[in-house]
Amino acid sequence: MWVRQGDQLMDGRVTISELEKVYGEGAERTKAIENLSFEVEGGEFVSVVGPSGCGKSTLLYLIAGFLDITSGTIAVDDEPIDGPGTDRGVVFQDYALFPWRTVFENVTYGLEEDGVPKEERQSIAQKYIDLVDLDGFEDKYPKELSGGMKQRVGIARTLAYEPKILLMDEPFGALDQPLREALQDQLRDIWADVGKTIVFITHDVEEAVYLSERVLIMTRHPGTKKTVTEVDLDRSGTREEIVTSDEFADYKNTVWKSLHEETQTEVKL
Amino acid sequence: MDVTADAEGGFDLSRVIDIGKSIYSLVILLVLWEVVGQLGLIHYYFLPPLSAIIARFIELTLNGEMLYNAYLTLYRALVGLAIASVLGVIVGVLSARNDLVDWFFDPIIKIGYPIPIISLIPVFMLWFGIGDISKIIMVAVGTFWPVAINARDSTRQVQTNLIWSAQMMGTSDRRLLWRVVMPAALPGILTGFQIAMPLSLIITFVFEMVAGGGGLGALEIAGVRSFQSEQVYAAIIAIMFIGIGLDRLLRFTRSRLLHWT
Repeated sequence: MWVRQGDQLMDGRVTISELEKVYGEGAERTKAIENLSFEVEGGEFVSVVGPSGCGKSTLLYLIAGFLDITSGTIAVDDEPIDGPGTDRGVVFQDYALFPWRTVFENVTYGLEEDGVPKEERQSIAQKYIDLVDLDGFEDKYPKELSGGMKQRVGIARTLAYEPKILLMDEPFGALDQPLREALQDQLRDIWADVGKTIVFITHDVEEAVYLSERVLIMTRHPGTKKTVTEVDLDRSGTREEIVTSDEFADYKNTVWKSLHEETQTEVKL
Repeated sequence: MDVTADAEGGFDLSRVIDIGKSIYSLVILLVLWEVVGQLGLIHYYFLPPLSAIIARFIELTLNGEMLYNAYLTLYRALVGLAIASVLGVIVGVLSARNDLVDWFFDPIIKIGYPIPIISLIPVFMLWFGIGDISKIIMVAVGTFWPVAINARDSTRQVQTNLIWSAQMMGTSDRRLLWRVVMPAALPGILTGFQIAMPLSLIITFVFEMVAGGGGLGALEIAGVRSFQSEQVYAAIIAIMFIGIGLDRLLRFTRSRLLHWT
């Protein structure tokens, strides 16, 4: 159902080279990320997994431009990033919607900042609100929505201003299992629809394998690339067919083992 | 509370009874007051019967004296509060957003806030006299602190994620203040106003009692000095109603502005 066309050379390539991130100074100094080089192709769906404290969220916020890079570079389509930019959009785990704005106004925010005329704003916003199945909730405030609905608003508002790259920080982490699965499928559909690069942070191996084309597994203290697993799944079937297939189990095992080694090392230390 | 009955303008008896129930202890006290006064259990000078106070209140209202003094008190309190609100919000928000401003104002706020401000009334009389200006400046100085501190703290507590969200959607640093920081800090800023409002009345009232120049505080003190204790209580009732009225107004404004919380 969500098989992508073989489109090559898409925009939205993220190139990370020799990235290092250090927090604090002197005795407080901690290295969050060290010597990390990795490339995400334009239009690719990549998940990043790793034990907690491996710096995966730090990595995401560095790509977003929210945090300063200590050394190394991050480039989007060969252009080194300098702070946040509208070519990248983040979906936060805690949604981070503007509570004083309605669903509709949250989704139009980025378009307002871009100076898009009102009528155009409305039609674009409506399109994305429909895409995440929130029609009828346009005039609600975030406090009136459930967690799953808030996150769909979070996704819609980020899609609405059309960044090339979606950066998702455990976006479904706070939701229960059935809702997670529904939103995962919706995200795959959207990804197939709108053609964006997605960097997806999660600690859930199954989620990573189910969603992404490649899984980057990170070590901790300091965080860096451990292994990268290509997930070459036939995703033409239903969720049940995919999840119960042998190849899915194999990929899951591979990623899990690699991740588990990492956690084990930690426990021995 | 049943708002729909209000909106339709219909008379709802159960609602009247509800209100009656919620204040019945107050009604008992008021009746007791009247009885004690009428029986002469407490000397008239200390506590006149409620009816005598109400009669005096009406008399003062009809001859314009009450309204004029209430106007003076309100004018001084609200102008002072308005000045403090503007300056307090500016200083508070800038302190939270700018290290240099914070470096300058933080010690001043730390020292200034705990000073019992009415202890400075004699100093203000010395510097600025006993007229309106002196009272307004005193109110502004006294109410500046809660406004500034609440504005600063609520601005500091604006979630980083909200600021990041705005930045990723293209909001420049200069627009950030209006687009995100101020709306996100608004609940705390309004709380500052709500704390400062009764304070503005207290400062004005006390200054009027000490320095005269009209106003409800002066009216009350004049009542004591001329042995007219009904006037003392009438002035108290007036300032009480003003306090309650302004509090209601601020609460209403708050619920309107913050309907999204």
